[in-house]
Parts: sequence; C-alpha cells; structure tokens
Amino acid sequence: MSQKRLYELVYITSPDVTEAQVAELHTQVESIVARLQGEMVKTENWGRRRLAYKIGKHREGTYVLEVFNGSGELTKELDRRLKVTELVIRHMIIRVDEELKVADRNKARRQAEADKRAAKGLPPLGQGRRRSFDDAGDDDGPTEAEV
Amino acid sequence: MADERRSDRGPAGKGRGGARGNDKGGPRRSMFRRRKVCKFCTEKVDYIDYKDAKMLQPFVPERAKILPRRISGVCAMHQRKLQTAIKRARLIALLPYVTD
Repeated sequence: MSQKRLYELVYITSPDVTEAQVAELHTQVESIVARLQGEMVKTENWGRRRLAYKIGKHREGTYVLEVFNGSGELTKELDRRLKVTELVIRHMIIRVDEELKVADRNKARRQAEADKRAAKGLPPLGQGRRRSFDDAGDDDGPTEAEV
Repeated sequence: MADERRSDRGPAGKGRGGARGNDKGGPRRSMFRRRKVCKFCTEKVDYIDYKDAKMLQPFVPERAKILPRRISGVCAMHQRKLQTAIKRARLIALLPYVTD
C-alpha cells in the first residue's frame, strides 16, 4: 500500500471555457481522487486572471486550485488525464506536506523559545542577537589583520 | 557617484589596493553601507507561498530575473525557499520567465 501524501494541483483552463465546464472538470478531478483512495482537502477557484506570459495563443485563463491527500499513483493518473484534456492549458502538481511540516516545526520551536524567555521574565527577542553577530563578522576581521 | 563606489571597492579586493598602501580606506567603507536584513526573518515567514505573486514580485525586478541575495539581503535559507517559490509561480504563469 502506497503512502498518503498532501499534494496541491493548480490548473489553468483556456479563457473561453464556461463556468459549467470548469465545474465539470472539477468533478472529474474529484472522481479520480475518490477512485484511487484519495481525499479532497480544499478547492479554490481563482477565476479569470491575466497570464504573465502567453501559453499557446492565450493571454488569460481560469485558475483552479485543488488540495488533496493521495498516493503517487493518483498524481500520475491525474497528470495523464490533465495532459490529454484540451480545456486545460497548463497544470502543475506539487507535493507540499514536507514543506508544511518544516514550516510548522519552525513555528513551534520559535513559539517554545518565546515562551521560555517569557517564563524567565526577559523581554521578547528582537533583532539584537542577529545584528551583533553580523557586525562582528564584517568589521573586526580586516581591522585586526591590518593593525 | 560611480567613482566613489570604485574607490570603496578597491581596498576590499585584496589585489592592487593593498600593494599600494592605501589600506586605511578598508575599515572605513562600512560607514556608508546600511546593513541589510532578511525580510523573511524579520517578518518570521515560515512558508514562502508560490501562489502569492504579489509577495514574490519585489524579488523579480524588470527583466524578471531572480534578485540575488547580495542585493536583497535575504538569508541563504529563505533565498532557497524563495527560489523554488518563484520557479513554481513561473510555471503556472503567475510570474514571467522573461520580459523585454
């Protein structure tokens, strides 16, 4: 059994696609996710946006974001299906769980540090520590070498 | 303006400046430079989101090249994360690859 991981899928449909077609595409994605034992987490429709550069002959597109849990096979299947779909002019699937985990860990650690400082009765840490470290590295070195 | 900058840089590069004996300009140069601090560290950003094109915009000036961290002052860790975020944003046409 393959592992479950969190993925984000963004796809762009061509500008002349109707709302109904976008909705249909979304249900298609949903059904594929459900068929391969994945689960949807979130969907967002960003609506029509200007593209930063031309894709094919299009300058605009409708963006849809789908966040889901699933296996590697699921992303492969989605990738294959979206490549074939003519309505979709660009799509991207990325795995985000690792990055979000790291972000959460950093946040938790910072929070813990702040709590510890507060418990000791010290003021919250600003940029003081960082600055003194930077200055030492930059200025002291050359001066001492020359004298 | 340009001349000043050149004379600033001379002593810092080890080569000729030192041999001529105008070393004393060396330590003084830092007087005019403002210390750059990582934007993401001060704002305590943990995850640089590729979907937030507005936030990434200042790091891809005119030609849409990624701003080097020697100019932006972003720390190494955040520059790495920023880099992947910009590349992802480019793929889904939120940011341009090139502009001219």
